[in-house]
Amino acid sequence: MPWKDGYTTSDEKSLADQEVRWPEGKQCACVIVIDLSVASGPAGITPADLTTAASQFGTQVGVRSLLEMLQRFDMTATFAVPAVIAELYPATVRAILEHGHEVAAHGFKHEDVSQLDKDQERERLEAATASLTRITGQRPAGWYSLPRQRDPFAVGTISPHTIDLLLDAGYEYMGNGLADDMPYYWVTDVQTPRALLTLPYYYHFDDQFFLMFPPPGLGSGLENPKPFLTNCLLEFDAQYKRGRYFSMVLHPHIIGFGHRIRILEALFSHLQDFPGIWNPTAVQCAHYWQAHYPARTTLHLEPSIWQDYPGSLS
Amino acid sequence: MTSTMQHELQELREAAESYGARHVHLAHFAYPPGIRMAVNLTVDFDAMLLRRASNEPPMQLAKGEFGGRVGIWRLLELFASHSMHATIFTPGRICELYPQAVVAAARAGHEIADHMWEHRVPKERDLEYDHLVKSTQAIVRIIGRRPVGTRSHHTPAFLTQLGYIYTSTDTADHLPYYVADAQHQNVLLNLPFHYAIDDAMFFNFGWIGSGPHGQRLADPESVLEIWWDAFQSLYKQGSYLNVCLHPFISGRALRTAMLDRFITRMQALPGVWFTTCETLARYCLEHFPPPRG
Repeated sequence: MPWKDGYTTSDEKSLADQEVRWPEGKQCACVIVIDLSVASGPAGITPADLTTAASQFGTQVGVRSLLEMLQRFDMTATFAVPAVIAELYPATVRAILEHGHEVAAHGFKHEDVSQLDKDQERERLEAATASLTRITGQRPAGWYSLPRQRDPFAVGTISPHTIDLLLDAGYEYMGNGLADDMPYYWVTDVQTPRALLTLPYYYHFDDQFFLMFPPPGLGSGLENPKPFLTNCLLEFDAQYKRGRYFSMVLHPHIIGFGHRIRILEALFSHLQDFPGIWNPTAVQCAHYWQAHYPARTTLHLEPSIWQDYPGSLS
Repeated sequence: MTSTMQHELQELREAAESYGARHVHLAHFAYPPGIRMAVNLTVDFDAMLLRRASNEPPMQLAKGEFGGRVGIWRLLELFASHSMHATIFTPGRICELYPQAVVAAARAGHEIADHMWEHRVPKERDLEYDHLVKSTQAIVRIIGRRPVGTRSHHTPAFLTQLGYIYTSTDTADHLPYYVADAQHQNVLLNLPFHYAIDDAMFFNFGWIGSGPHGQRLADPESVLEIWWDAFQSLYKQGSYLNVCLHPFISGRALRTAMLDRFITRMQALPGVWFTTCETLARYCLEHFPPPRG
């Protein structure tokens, strides 16, 4: 086995807290991600998924509530937008851009690509990039593959080729990785090294797993606004103290409703009390990181001491 | 009672008596003078191995990878900030994936113990033995010292043969106890840990393939409340607490901060002995040895 393939995707050790510097001496980066997909399954968004009240609420009402809330607290966000959503709701995409937020790619229709072969996946990736480029007027810099409520694991579904394909297509960052709580490099070839900057995601800071979850059909969902808020507050406090990075993922059709939007209000109000928060879009953060912590000097790929043995997993 | 029912009862009696006879509870257990209770902070340094063995998808492996790249270092920092030593149950393969962290843990005075070669116990007897030897050797190679403890369900005969003196798995008592194998031989000391004091039971989505139905998405505040309650109850009894932590779970910043508060609260009480499993095991073996024969 070359290197530690199949086990690790990055180097052996993350940056220590004291090695992390943000622009203008800011204390902590805070990246808000809004998933503009609607509730769907592994096939991605279907006509049935778009003809639900929840979808209507999310794309019309919820997204406006979130835009207003961001504006009220003067915060920027990155919207992870499936290409089909941009095609169907171009006015929403324009409103997002007019507010100064980023539009990043989120699959052609937020489908699970893990079962596709490499050519099929490339075709979908290129189609998604072309749609978003045409609708937003610029190439998306980032790509997301966020989880859905019904996925067996709350981490997002990619294939073994996804990161390579994103590098081929010129993407500058992958929006959701789990191997760090800071920007880090996802290595696809240890020799070159070939690596894609990856921003962290963790489902404990994702509204869809706390509010009426599990979804109908999988269970009778429980409404858990407080654990969601507590997780976000405690993570922010701890990461602020360490001088690292905080990120959360929000869904307009989930957190955009009534009492739930108040979770967001409470969290954004809490952030106001802390000086030195840097609230970039994901792409701004990615550009800063690549300029100041390039893979060439930041990645420390130790030679592998792994050996294969009969009777052991390779 | 019909004869069938009598037969059923007899079968149950034999099973219960045989199982019971394998256990020796330490009725007269006492700590050294001045100690009211021992606390073992234990770390199962699994990272992505269990997820790899269950063929879980790439992002799940990356979730485990966090434990090796970030989480373990945070837990080591946490223990250092409280000047205490923990036991790191380390799968042999982790010595090849995260050698720097294992070496740093050993240098800081923590105990490195076994947690299976690749976080599974093969069913084939020869292969099982081979795995246990590999795991033991991997630890010896990297820290220069044999592990004496395990958190696994390896065959006790293999464990005793390879010099293991304790295991830390099930909860048949609050206090340490001795347990023999099904043939009533190969006695090991068990330092019991309870799943209710295991971070994976509270903070881990899709644990052991449970999917979205088995939601484990508690917040740290509610878990601190449960664990503090458990500690207080055991402290009153002068008992024992084994806290099971996973670097990919408890190494997340929000939870390391919670553990910091938990340890600070426990430390504030008199007579709490934070020590490694090995130290406690050697104390038990010396002062409350297993019955002979």
